[in-house]
Amino acid sequence: MAAGGNNRSRLLLVILLVTALFLITLDLRGINIAKNSRSATQSFLAPVQRGFSDFFSPVGNFFGDVKNFGKAKAQITDLQKENAKLKNQLVLNSDVKGQLAKLKGVLNLAGRGGYKVVAARVIGQGSASTFTQTITIDAGSSDGIQKDMTVINESGIVGVVKSVTGSSAIVILMSDPTFRIGVRIAGTQTVGILLGQGNSRYTLQLLDPTGTIKFGDALVSLGSDNNHPFVPGLPVGSVSFVDHSNSALTQTASVTGYANLNSLGVVSVITAVGKQDPKDSLVPTPDPTKTIYVTATPTPSASSATSNSPAPTPAPTVKAKK
Amino acid sequence: MSWTRAGIFSVFLFVVFVIQEAAISKINFPIAGFSLYLAVLLGLMSLEDKFGAFVLGFIGGLILDLSPSSDSPFGKWALILTIIGYLFATNRESIGDFTERPGSFVIFISIGAALTLLVFLCFGVLLGENNGSFGTNMLTILGNSLWTLLFAPILLPGLVKWRSITINSRERA
Repeated sequence: MAAGGNNRSRLLLVILLVTALFLITLDLRGINIAKNSRSATQSFLAPVQRGFSDFFSPVGNFFGDVKNFGKAKAQITDLQKENAKLKNQLVLNSDVKGQLAKLKGVLNLAGRGGYKVVAARVIGQGSASTFTQTITIDAGSSDGIQKDMTVINESGIVGVVKSVTGSSAIVILMSDPTFRIGVRIAGTQTVGILLGQGNSRYTLQLLDPTGTIKFGDALVSLGSDNNHPFVPGLPVGSVSFVDHSNSALTQTASVTGYANLNSLGVVSVITAVGKQDPKDSLVPTPDPTKTIYVTATPTPSASSATSNSPAPTPAPTVKAKK
Repeated sequence: MSWTRAGIFSVFLFVVFVIQEAAISKINFPIAGFSLYLAVLLGLMSLEDKFGAFVLGFIGGLILDLSPSSDSPFGKWALILTIIGYLFATNRESIGDFTERPGSFVIFISIGAALTLLVFLCFGVLLGENNGSFGTNMLTILGNSLWTLLFAPILLPGLVKWRSITINSRERA
């Protein structure tokens, strides 16, 4: 009896393994079981994600906030005073205000680049068990979004639309290990490929063996045919470390992205592009150095009281840099 | 495991999957994310007999294959979790009843979660997938199993109770 049970178990195990392998083979041969079933799941999940998004938006960064609690302790006293002042001015919910600021920023960037965009709220993030870096947004094909459209936030490029349903879309983030984008170094026009690494750092690989990279070089997107998946001229990131080893044929560097992919609340999908390429005009410029000159002026009373004394030496000019 | 129970577990796992995709994945856990779905599935698999473990693994894997954010071929999770189910079932016999030893259960689930993700990565390499740097992946596995270790004690009583509700008198005997 036990042997019969064991045989039955073994047979079932083999059937299940063969079924799984059969499904994998079908998928790899391009039969769209996965695409259709995942699309159906996404259509089902989108309204649920949207519902949960409202609740989880404030608590999503709970652990990060707890981690920074020690650092923030010193600022609490100052903030309490400021808080009392701000309470009077508070009209909108702080979460909504934050999203509005991000939306303003992204619309500003889109306006400067001459892009037509569709704004969307982030309602979900890729599952921890899939090793992919994705987000789900609450805009889909009914809003004019199609596969392979560029997604931006207020700082620059965020990712590309991977799949679309009627009311939602999945965006593959720049940080995904499979993500590749052609970039151009602003100014020198040297081109290269930026590779996602699964974290907030990216690797830049130049295509030209004679090209050079400098620390702080700004990178913009090179663009694709018919602007899909990438529109040209979008800020991508800046070079944070240059690899000077001679082992590679072309120079490589580490890049820090302009867009903070950990705090995406509102993003925009570029649906149409203006006639003119913005070239390097969208690269964020560093804050200009502000110089304050303070020159001491002698008061009239002081000068009359000491009329016979030699003229006072002017105080040295104070040069403060911000 | 009866087919009725397999059906009930499928619905239950789908609900957990929806919670995972809609809510848990929105939380930015330090180090790496926590997969409630994997913890629940592995927990249920470890409480089942040999037959039940790999049937649950297959069903659970198929549900996980539906994840819209997944880039892997459909059926990959089903294959991996069936294998994990078989490994669980064979090793569980040497450990005995988990309900009497919650400590072993928690450690077993945590190691199981790490092993599952590791097998998933290895299969990905065999299929030619690009899953990113080794360090980042190891950190993801470590983070996930750490969170599983912390949350599994909360899940254990619920899972045991759920199992005892769904089990019928014939299976109990």
